[in-house]
Amino acid sequence: MDAILRELIDGFNIFIQYTGFANLTIGHFLMLIVGCIFISLGIIKEYEPLLLVPIGFGVLLGNIPFLETAGMQIGIYEEGSVLNYLYFGVLKGIYPPLIFLGIGAMTDFSTLLSNPKLMLLGAAAQIGIFLTFLAALALGFSTQQAAAIGIIGGADGPTAIFLSSKLAPELIGAIAIAAYSYMALVPVLQPPIIKLLTNKEERRIKMKPPRAVGKTEKILFPIVGLLLTTFISPGGLPLLGMLFFGNLLKESGVTRRLADTASKPLIDIVTILLGLTVGASTQATTFLTPQSILIFVLGAISFMIATAGGVIFAKAMNLFLKGDNKLNPMIGAAGVSAVPDSARVVQHLGLKEDKSNYLLMHAMAPNVSGVIGSAVAAGILLSFLTHIL
Amino acid sequence: MNELIQNSDTLSAVKDTVVSAMESANGEIPDLQFKISNISTDSLVLTVLGYTIVFLALLFLFITFVNVTRLLNYKIKKKLQSTGKEKEETETIDLSGEVTAAISTALILHFREIHDFESTIITIKKVQKPYSPWSSKIYGLRQYPGKR
Repeated sequence: MDAILRELIDGFNIFIQYTGFANLTIGHFLMLIVGCIFISLGIIKEYEPLLLVPIGFGVLLGNIPFLETAGMQIGIYEEGSVLNYLYFGVLKGIYPPLIFLGIGAMTDFSTLLSNPKLMLLGAAAQIGIFLTFLAALALGFSTQQAAAIGIIGGADGPTAIFLSSKLAPELIGAIAIAAYSYMALVPVLQPPIIKLLTNKEERRIKMKPPRAVGKTEKILFPIVGLLLTTFISPGGLPLLGMLFFGNLLKESGVTRRLADTASKPLIDIVTILLGLTVGASTQATTFLTPQSILIFVLGAISFMIATAGGVIFAKAMNLFLKGDNKLNPMIGAAGVSAVPDSARVVQHLGLKEDKSNYLLMHAMAPNVSGVIGSAVAAGILLSFLTHIL
Repeated sequence: MNELIQNSDTLSAVKDTVVSAMESANGEIPDLQFKISNISTDSLVLTVLGYTIVFLALLFLFITFVNVTRLLNYKIKKKLQSTGKEKEETETIDLSGEVTAAISTALILHFREIHDFESTIITIKKVQKPYSPWSSKIYGLRQYPGKR
């Protein structure tokens, strides 16, 4: 009887060892709270719910404590686990180009084509990437890590994941979480900077309605765009190639089914996998380091510099533009490539100042050119830094 | 929070793993002190060059598309000139944002209404009268007890 009782107690002890309660650390607890905050921000505040809900749930998934030495193959960093297989798409940079395919198939570049000078705003906002790169270097990060951190300023989650998977895979979780968090927090981060750098009069500038763009121009854009940008920056080929391919599927008019698949089911599937695995990659035991916190701070700085860069450049352009052609400098903030959130923020701010000032279409132009700009920047950093690895 | 992290045994063990991962990846551990001297000349060159290239890439794209538009317009102009017209006979209408938004919404609503199949029967509907014992004729008839 005693032996049976002892075995029962032993069995119970083993069971206890395997439960989440026995393996819970403060780190896990903190990350579970972070996960809940992400989910509530997505559901209650509706800040980028398509991203924050999967990422938040992924954070919960990745931070359920378990006996890591048991070799159950369940954790995201355990070879052979399902989550580990799904995470492979993040680590090898497979998901970002697929997301870009969907973005390309969803994006209408006609506002950009109707006023091509707005492309320069997308380029100007990339200053955030390069200045944060220098700041990260000054803080002691390696060149590759600094480049991967700097790309957060592009406000483009897939690009950030793509570059960090190539240059600094050990930071991919923190960088991805930072990039997506700031994308979701665009409505909070951008307005104060825009207001600080512009006056009422500038915010009330009404821009000329965009002209109608012909089908030929729309079809030519992805082809010429691909050739030009990838010849200059071949490092961005996977991203730019997929972006322009998706756009050609949309604009050609003869591949509607493919464009529909790329812009709806495919991008949805990849978003689910990407969000969940990126969230799960924040396992407290590997994620909660001073470096991760520093990456968050640098990401915020990068994002703010990028926003400011776009606005200041739009103001500078206004010095050379006259009459109708003047730009509302707020649209410069949309040069960060958080599509379409930045453009939406500009639209809201525009309507706040003047109820008849619709800036959405104008802001979409720098917004989509920001996507191209950040992919080109990623390509340049990749090609410069790969040989150092 | 840093103290909490440092105090945790598990985390300190894993911190070593992360640090070793960083070491193996780059041979350096960030010391988290802001030092301008950490920025090498190569990195400065990369920053200036990188940003310039991004700018140039989009500048080329801008110049190309300004010219593509001009080229396409030139072709249209040529066509018009061959037919004896100087300008395309289109009236430029300056519409306010509200009017454009109203027209767009109306068009979208109209096109959403259009569909391939439409039921030709509009008014004749099949009337369903489910059985109810309250209206059953059998209860309205006199029933005699049967002989057994």
